[in-house]
Amino acid sequence: MSDDLVKILDGNTFVVSDSRGDIEATMSDPTGLFSWDTRFLSRWVLTIDGQRLNPLSVDDLQYFETRFFLVPGTGTVYVDAKLSVIRRRAIADGFHEQLTILNHDAEPVDLQVRVDVASDFADLFEVKDALEKKGEYFRRVQDGRLILGYRRGSDTRESWIWASAKATVDDDGLTFAVHVEPHGEWTTELHVAPARTELAERELRPQHRTAVRSDMERGLERWRAQAPRVETDWEWLRIVYERSLVDLAALRFSPMSLPGHSLPAAGLPWFMTMFGRDSIFTSLQALPFAPDLAASTLRALAQRQGTRFDDFREEEPGRILHEMRFGEMTAFEERPHSPYFGAVDATPLFVVLLDEYERWTGDRGLVRELEPEARAALHWIDAYGDRSGNGYVSYKRRNEETGLENQCWKDSWDSISFRDGTIPGFPRATCELQGYAYDAKIRGARLARTIWKDPGFADVLERQAADLKRRFNRDFWVEDGGYFALALDEEGRQVDALTSNIGHLLWSGIAQRAKARECVRHLMGSRLFSGWGVRTLAEGQGRYNPIGYHVGTVWPFDNSFIAWGLRRYGYKAEAARVAAGILDAARFFLGRLPEAFAGYERTETKYPVEYPTSCSPQAWSTGAPLLFLRTMLGLEPQGEHLIVDPMLPKGIGFIQLLDIPGRWGRVDAFGRERMGREAYPRIGRELGLQPYGERRRGKRA
Amino acid sequence: MDEQTDTTREFFDGLAARRSEPLLHGVTGTIRFDLTTDEAVEHWLVHIRDGDVKVSRRKAKADCVVTADRDLFDRVVTGEVNTVAAVLRNELRIDGQAALPLAFQRLLPGPADSARDDATSDEGGAR
Repeated sequence: MSDDLVKILDGNTFVVSDSRGDIEATMSDPTGLFSWDTRFLSRWVLTIDGQRLNPLSVDDLQYFETRFFLVPGTGTVYVDAKLSVIRRRAIADGFHEQLTILNHDAEPVDLQVRVDVASDFADLFEVKDALEKKGEYFRRVQDGRLILGYRRGSDTRESWIWASAKATVDDDGLTFAVHVEPHGEWTTELHVAPARTELAERELRPQHRTAVRSDMERGLERWRAQAPRVETDWEWLRIVYERSLVDLAALRFSPMSLPGHSLPAAGLPWFMTMFGRDSIFTSLQALPFAPDLAASTLRALAQRQGTRFDDFREEEPGRILHEMRFGEMTAFEERPHSPYFGAVDATPLFVVLLDEYERWTGDRGLVRELEPEARAALHWIDAYGDRSGNGYVSYKRRNEETGLENQCWKDSWDSISFRDGTIPGFPRATCELQGYAYDAKIRGARLARTIWKDPGFADVLERQAADLKRRFNRDFWVEDGGYFALALDEEGRQVDALTSNIGHLLWSGIAQRAKARECVRHLMGSRLFSGWGVRTLAEGQGRYNPIGYHVGTVWPFDNSFIAWGLRRYGYKAEAARVAAGILDAARFFLGRLPEAFAGYERTETKYPVEYPTSCSPQAWSTGAPLLFLRTMLGLEPQGEHLIVDPMLPKGIGFIQLLDIPGRWGRVDAFGRERMGREAYPRIGRELGLQPYGERRRGKRA
Repeated sequence: MDEQTDTTREFFDGLAARRSEPLLHGVTGTIRFDLTTDEAVEHWLVHIRDGDVKVSRRKAKADCVVTADRDLFDRVVTGEVNTVAAVLRNELRIDGQAALPLAFQRLLPGPADSARDDATSDEGGAR
């Protein structure tokens, strides 16, 4: 998305506008007011005496609130600006804009203020794919409110628009006859309520909005207050951490089935919804900081776990959903997202998250509560996850029309290939899926033995896991390359491209030690490691493209799990190096890591090149710095205690994480530099950092 | 009540006869289904207590009320109509605790053409 677009949001309601605050959307343009995957405003244009306004500045107040400072006139020369205009807008159970006009002149002014409005009620999928509408539009003026609507069958979606000041309302907008005294001001509140049916009277009352709004403010304060604090000499780390906390707060949403609980949605603007994979990975990253996210994610996904066969939705008993949507195309079954189950990793990862959550929090109650769902997920791995019948988890879509071809995290069409670039057939058993399945069995066994009190089941799972590990290390190992194949194809042949997926194998623990050592050499070698991070696909492979979505770019999320994997096998310095590279890249994005950036060599471009159309903030990129903090400090729950075993990147003096929540209550973790000060300046500069000691001395001088 | 179609009644009778539903483990609450035909509104009250199910025809207060056309509901219980999509189309309306109908829909079958022979053949999870 273009950087000059301004976005605010709360849950799955968000506004994207230009820097004046105006919305002029087309069917394929991603601006507008969106709620429940539907665009409720496609036009929102402010004029004064028929003139558009010019932006002076935009002031982002909170993730749900922003302020635009404007002056009338066209062009870039503000001659004699006697008026200024402030649009202060917020998302709080609808869209609200306080419009204020200030007269700086000694004379009174009379102005015609106009807000043009329209809505195309596009489904998010339509905005992405530019499709035609099938229902009918209507509009009416009722009790001084303008109501724009769209109807298809029994499904009605409406935008209710009104103002607190007296307005003339017509089918295309609101007009105000405004008189402003010398040095005086005029103000009105504009409201837009997205509605599925008649709005409840309650929701139209101002007290309701005030209540929702102050809840949100308190919620954000509480969220920040409850999160651990970071103290460090690495200034950017603190900035990145603060950015991540606020973005993660913004990305939370509360499903109707779990009132009062929230889980991370996948990203703004296209992915403000529940995703099995993204919600699980983000909850894992955030466990040491906000463990409640994991509990809500587990509950919400358990509520929607598959129980039957449905080829359109690719539902199977025990399967964890991939993506939930609420728009028109989902409602009328032109898309399968009600919910869609086309992911093979979400199901084993559900068990992984449940176990990791208990290890941190000691919440045995949730493990007992979700025992049937966890067992069903473990059952799914073998009963339905093994599409080839060869003992490996694989995928081949059942929905040939609108289903996903690649049902792993690298889900673009060309992400899975042989070394020479050839694309394999289906089913495809990608390697990381075997790792997740292995980990799910090991962790499931722990839960079965210690909490479900079913040692027999634990034995079975452990035997299966050991067998899977043995076979995997034999069948996936590429002898002439010294790494694990990306996948096995439908005939069991090794899809032999060298990819970042081998890092996930370390995280899952499925790699044998000697083989892990060879994988680490590749991960840190120049074909995979760009200097900023590990590329999705190694340089030199047939499909390598430094700006290809899953075939050469560097993904912060991917790297955070790779770093965790490196730690797991004892490669602490390597983990710290990956953390340093990605966190340093965040400097170039004002502390907000993008979904992906280009795989160019660090020395070649000096700065990380953002992937062109990525979505931001994206939950698992937001979560990456949190997981890097965990890996740099070597945080690991052991029994009732938290083990701290730090290894900081070279040149970093200290990192402290204070008040880490968990089964131990709250504890602090400290990490100090691992080398002498004399080596500091050189490496610090390499990382683009001011040496800590010098800067402090400079300040005091 | 003598409705021309019996699909819905058969579904609720079957539910009542089973008494306990493993898929509703941990779920407690009451759902009332208000199903409208041309002549009347038919009520089904489902009482769930940790997976134990009781069904009656009373129009009593419930934690959640599901409203739909009886014709549509006949197709819901056979798996022809997907519940979630029907809710999104506003053909099936939910008032009250949304978690209850979400749990309840686990009991509904999938589309007939998606059915699998191996559905029940490999219980236990062992390969």
